[in-house]
Amino acid sequence: MSELGRCERRHRKISRLLFAGLIVVALASSLVHQLLPASAADSRRPELVGWVTDPLGEPVQNAEVSMYADGMKEPIAVAESQGDGEFALELPEVPFETLSVDVSRPHFHSQTWSPTPDELELLRQGATIRLPDITMERRITLGFWVATLTFVGMLALIALERLHNTMAALLGAAIVLGVSSVGSPLNPDLFILDFEQALQYVDFDVIFLVMGMMIVIGILEATGIFQWTAYQAYRLSRGRAWLLAIILMILTSVASAMLDNVTTMLLMTPITLEIALVLGINPLALIIPEVLASNIGGISTLIGTPTNILIGSYADIGFADFLINLTPGVVLAQTALTIYVLVVFRRQYREVSGGLSPAMLDRLRENGRITRPKTLAKAGTVFVLMLLLFIFGEQIHLVPAVTAILGAAVMLLVVDTDIQEMLKVVDWTTLMFFIALFMVIGALQEVGLISLIAAGIKQLVGENLNLALLVIVWSGALLSGVIDNIPFTAAMLPVVGYLTRTIPGASSKVLFYGLSVGSAMGGNSTLIGSSPNMVTAGIAERAGYPVSYVAFLKVGLPATIITVAMGTIWLLIRF
Amino acid sequence: MGRILCPTRGGEGSYRTQDAAIAMAKERGDELVFLYVVDLDFLNKTERAVRPDVVAEEMRHLGEFLLGMAQERAHNQGVDAAYVLREGDVQAEIEAAALEEEATMVVLGQSAADDPACAFAPESLLRFAQKIEAGTGIETRVVC
Repeated sequence: MSELGRCERRHRKISRLLFAGLIVVALASSLVHQLLPASAADSRRPELVGWVTDPLGEPVQNAEVSMYADGMKEPIAVAESQGDGEFALELPEVPFETLSVDVSRPHFHSQTWSPTPDELELLRQGATIRLPDITMERRITLGFWVATLTFVGMLALIALERLHNTMAALLGAAIVLGVSSVGSPLNPDLFILDFEQALQYVDFDVIFLVMGMMIVIGILEATGIFQWTAYQAYRLSRGRAWLLAIILMILTSVASAMLDNVTTMLLMTPITLEIALVLGINPLALIIPEVLASNIGGISTLIGTPTNILIGSYADIGFADFLINLTPGVVLAQTALTIYVLVVFRRQYREVSGGLSPAMLDRLRENGRITRPKTLAKAGTVFVLMLLLFIFGEQIHLVPAVTAILGAAVMLLVVDTDIQEMLKVVDWTTLMFFIALFMVIGALQEVGLISLIAAGIKQLVGENLNLALLVIVWSGALLSGVIDNIPFTAAMLPVVGYLTRTIPGASSKVLFYGLSVGSAMGGNSTLIGSSPNMVTAGIAERAGYPVSYVAFLKVGLPATIITVAMGTIWLLIRF
Repeated sequence: MGRILCPTRGGEGSYRTQDAAIAMAKERGDELVFLYVVDLDFLNKTERAVRPDVVAEEMRHLGEFLLGMAQERAHNQGVDAAYVLREGDVQAEIEAAALEEEATMVVLGQSAADDPACAFAPESLLRFAQKIEAGTGIETRVVC
């Protein structure tokens, strides 16, 4: 081996060790942060403390609270409300006769509070006074309409495929931030949110979990494991197409739950097409059931679908929680789906003819082999350990994002791959999509659209948890068929969060599970309902088997109704 | 002896075009070359992370499988056919392949199940055939 080659290998090893070291430090920091007690702030000055809420009783963050003395124009103290709506105004050492407190925030009507003479006296004596809760009334501003129309426009651009999802989300974020920055000096009502606020809405748990899983999946998918399992399904079925369909549905469902349904379908579809051609049946009779099963299977784990990643992070639902609370429902839905598929495609399954030459069978066998067995053995072991860490890691304060990054780092180390190459598998387009999406949803929360929707649903369902569950599941299923379920789910999270806090019995997080079931299973109803549907149709079309919107709808819509019904029944039983 | 280039996507919808190309090759005593173009444009329809290199590899396997089937189809009709696999924009690659393979004729076909928006729909197919002829000077026939 040349000196140059040895240097390169050493450089790679050092890079990997540095990367792993960074992860270990991040992990240790995360654990230490969890274990250290929070230090309480000491204040010896008299204070005015209070809470700011919106009309729904939700805390209002970043409200500016200003204290004025004796009618002066300049405030003598200023504070901002925190995440829980609390603020504390420290009284400075200045003489005063009267005091007033103004609470203001964009998209709300300002509020003023003045202490009584008794309260003033108490403050002079150094006491701290707790103000009555301040409820700020919402104000529909021009910014409200800009943010709402931007979100609707973004959804339309994605649904009509006029722009790539990431481009549409970035455009949305640029509009709300641009209008806020440039428009608000001209008309303050155009303010939506500033960049600092927008960043606060970005859920970095989601970003790092998605990034970690990208690396893990990137390593595993290049091993040929998907293709091998599909080929084994073909062998196991011994030419019986109905049995092959069942096995493939189970395989795609499990793979989607453990990894990702888009990756699963991207790698399973080509080999499934080849198997169908070997059997002499229409490939769509195998591919469509596969993609339907894939969309459902992903629901059962935290990492199975992007919507679950969003839900899990927002509602603090862990890997094990999804597994326990949704897997039986998924099994129920898959069973019903299998029966439905066997009925719908019964004719195609009877048309097995075969007839391809041994050379073509050899080619199929060649395409269905594991290409990197050593990598698979190492990466597979790490992946199993990673799954265990996902399940049990919460007990040692390991958040899923840290587990994913840890798994990715260890996998990079043991697989001995080129880190530069592997880091290329991190799809920044996808990460940008999530970041921009969070900002747009943040804008909707700022202007009050989310509160309006939450109040509307609350008015509709009242205190009835079962009714709320039905509304969330079925509206999610319906809307996910026509709009991208990721922005839909992201927008619904605060709504479901509000309903969870206000409806008796909803603290079990059943409504979040309902959102997961509705948004993921609903994607089966139309061709554009989910990403796996579209990439699968894209591959089939390139093999001469185009899937039309109507053809998919005819199979997908009844399948959605059946499976969502099963999912709903399970949630009603479980909770 | 000439050389016929027949771009194909495989599948039942393409059999008619393949058969026409096979018949022409047989009648004229020409060589026959099937072409499959790996086009990953569909990956733009997802906001999810994918590895284009791994997907491209799978699509190459699929393409070779479909080309193998076309080759076998020709063989069963008494014609020995070769095949070419390319990657990129379908129309651009067909034109490039026609020149590189020194084709004397290109045979295009419309898949039976194509949708109107597809590149191989009748009107766009005829326009594409004219474009190939104008750009390369190679005779291009459309099978309908």
